[in-house]
Amino acid sequence: MPIASDKSTWTIALVGNPNTGKSTLFGALSGLAQRTGNYPGVTVEKKTGEVIHDGRRWLLVDLPGTYSLSPRSPDEMVTVDVLLGRRGDVPPPDVIVCVAAAGNLSRNLYLASQVLELGRPVVIALTMNDLAEAEGTKVDVEALARNLGVPVVPVQARRGEGLEALKDAVEKAGAGAAPASADVFPEEFRREVDGLAATMDGTPRYLVERLLLDAGSYVEEGLGLAGRERDALRSRLEAARARLVEVGWKTPDVETASRFAWVARATDGTVIHAGDRGPRVVDRVDWFLTHWFFGSLVLIGVLLLTFSAVFSWANVPMDWIDAGFASLGEWVEATLPEGPIRDLIVGGVVAGVGGVVIFLPQILILIGLLSILEECGYLARAAYLMDRIMVHVGLSGRSFIPLLSSFACAIPGVMATRTIEDRRDRLTTILIAPLMSCSARLPVYTLLIGAFIPARAYLDGWIQLQGLTLLGMYLVGVVVAAAMALILKRTLLRGGTPAFVMELPAYQWPSPFVVVRRMLDRAWDFLSNAGTIIFAVSVVMWGLLYYPRLSAEDMAPLAALQAQAEAEMEAAKSSGDEEAAAAAEAAVKEAEDHIAGAQQRQSILGRMGRWIEPAVRPLGWDWRLGAAALASFPAREVVVSTLGVIFDVGDEVEDENEQRLVQAVQSASWPDGRPLFTIPVALSVMVFFALCAQCVSTLAVIWRETGSWTWPAIAFAYMTGLAYIGALLTYQVGTRLFS
Amino acid sequence: MIAQMPAVQGEETGEMVPLALLRAGQTGRVGEVLGNVELVHRLREMGLYHGATVRMIRPGSPCIIGLDGQRLGFRGDDLARVLVRVPAMAS
Repeated sequence: MPIASDKSTWTIALVGNPNTGKSTLFGALSGLAQRTGNYPGVTVEKKTGEVIHDGRRWLLVDLPGTYSLSPRSPDEMVTVDVLLGRRGDVPPPDVIVCVAAAGNLSRNLYLASQVLELGRPVVIALTMNDLAEAEGTKVDVEALARNLGVPVVPVQARRGEGLEALKDAVEKAGAGAAPASADVFPEEFRREVDGLAATMDGTPRYLVERLLLDAGSYVEEGLGLAGRERDALRSRLEAARARLVEVGWKTPDVETASRFAWVARATDGTVIHAGDRGPRVVDRVDWFLTHWFFGSLVLIGVLLLTFSAVFSWANVPMDWIDAGFASLGEWVEATLPEGPIRDLIVGGVVAGVGGVVIFLPQILILIGLLSILEECGYLARAAYLMDRIMVHVGLSGRSFIPLLSSFACAIPGVMATRTIEDRRDRLTTILIAPLMSCSARLPVYTLLIGAFIPARAYLDGWIQLQGLTLLGMYLVGVVVAAAMALILKRTLLRGGTPAFVMELPAYQWPSPFVVVRRMLDRAWDFLSNAGTIIFAVSVVMWGLLYYPRLSAEDMAPLAALQAQAEAEMEAAKSSGDEEAAAAAEAAVKEAEDHIAGAQQRQSILGRMGRWIEPAVRPLGWDWRLGAAALASFPAREVVVSTLGVIFDVGDEVEDENEQRLVQAVQSASWPDGRPLFTIPVALSVMVFFALCAQCVSTLAVIWRETGSWTWPAIAFAYMTGLAYIGALLTYQVGTRLFS
Repeated sequence: MIAQMPAVQGEETGEMVPLALLRAGQTGRVGEVLGNVELVHRLREMGLYHGATVRMIRPGSPCIIGLDGQRLGFRGDDLARVLVRVPAMAS
């Protein structure tokens, strides 16, 4: 039966194992005409593209890489539902393209044997033939297609080879009938499935099979049965499984045994092994990179290079963004009339959103470098090496990549935990990921270290005290994260150390297309966050710092001072005395900042700061630091600009102003004249920001990924608690040591 | 049929040992996989099916094994054990 030959738009689904070059093929087929989104209610990325072939429009759907179509979670159910045409948001596929790597055909064809049961036309795209041939394996494509009963098309997506042949095969397959479903299972099993299917009208046969195979599978939940009906189904399934055990077929083992036997028959005589290929250079490289000692050395080197690249390459574009937002602010200031609206746009929107967008270059560079490392196959080796260490805190090597990404930003880090199958492990990783010092903490560290840590050097300048302090802050986060993982895995998320299984893919050149695509996706995620949540909170925080305004009588003496300074400046300018003009200009600035400071102190946030002062006194902080910590709740990097405002420096704290902020915090004092900041106070502030959860975007992404407010609430509560205790200990121990 | 029973065919000879005991370069055939049903099924799906030839590339915990052209980093958990059948050793 031709399924869809008369339609003008076809839907083509792409499915395959991870590391088969599926994304590269998707990119080569759809070019730039692609979109990334999310399937509602789950955390699966919905990637679609468009292909025009022979005047027909194809909607290309790229499904997440998977080893099998046995859904164990709502996320995995999405793939199965899309392929079966059971989702409203994706039309039923007219053709399924199953991507299979030639190098390990049997595991890839295991998935294909499941796809062949779905009753849709199938085309196999055979990838990585060059790698397989280098390994000494050659596939007889025609014989394989004959045995499988579906077209098999070799493709080299990166070089654009085989794409036209693949499209032609898809066109032909879509116009024809679906292949006969492969008879994979033994007779007794098929009879049980037939019997169950007869009682479950409307449920696709493949799902009935899954119900029988996977006890506690997600398919059962998807049927939406309850109470007696569900119990009845369960007991029927139990009875069927018991009958199968009696004839020697245990579920779910019968599936792997039957399918791999089918694969062995299908590939019999189609795969030519060139015999023993002998040791190759790649094997030696791999031996070196996975060696516990040499491999660890390489890993440390790679990480050092990556992070120094992130910080050094990002400098220039960050300055551009900063300058861009600064001139935008100036332009608004010059264009709009004075008043709350102008202040809102300049002080709230431009400063708030700009302060966050400035981290985009760092995030882009890190994501780009990590994607390259992942695409070339190195990160899997790094995860393998790190598993040795991660087991000590009850996690597996799978948590390594998400935690590594979190050093740039916890948002992509939390999203990267999707690859962790074990739920408890995934939640533990999500909860500790924000403890990794992200790039937003850097401005806080830089400011306080520059101001208070003496620039001492040891060992001929190779070791700097300031650098050591910075490293120490990163270590505080890592050590606390390790301890938290241990505690979480013993209490809230109790469970043994999970097993670790990870494919170590063949080394290959990263596909530029995939890397750039991933950078663009992350950039878009980040910017849309900045445009929504950060925007909203910036406005609210601005309001709390802005209102209520100073009363007329409070304002009068300050305004008089300002007017006087302005008059002096005008006079100096007209007389041409440049030195006096510069001095007068500084006086004007000082008067303006003084007004801003007075305004700040009596704003709602300022009052809250003074109200919480008793709570922050034990940390060595005064109300201003407390208010700055409160104001940085939406995003911790906000604290630097808040400190600038509160200490009367003005909003801009970059470049030469940075120096002014350094001077301002150095000269800040308690009412009795003692300096506010001592080394212990500076350290206590840094430790607080190393451990706190001051980032609304991270909390929001945790909510999205876990689907509940419980986990972001836990993350916020435990991190804030730890931050307070950490800052308290730092200050109390520090004062005793230094005095 | 009992797994430990000495059989006549070449495939069934040899002894069952935990995968972790294989030395570098040694090969064996996958037999029983013990442990949590879901994890066992996943391991089977990834290629550790009954009768698959597995080669130890780097022993240890985790180890690296070679399976039909792919390499897997693998460490069983507290319960999961992969048993492999190796040719009886001459010693």
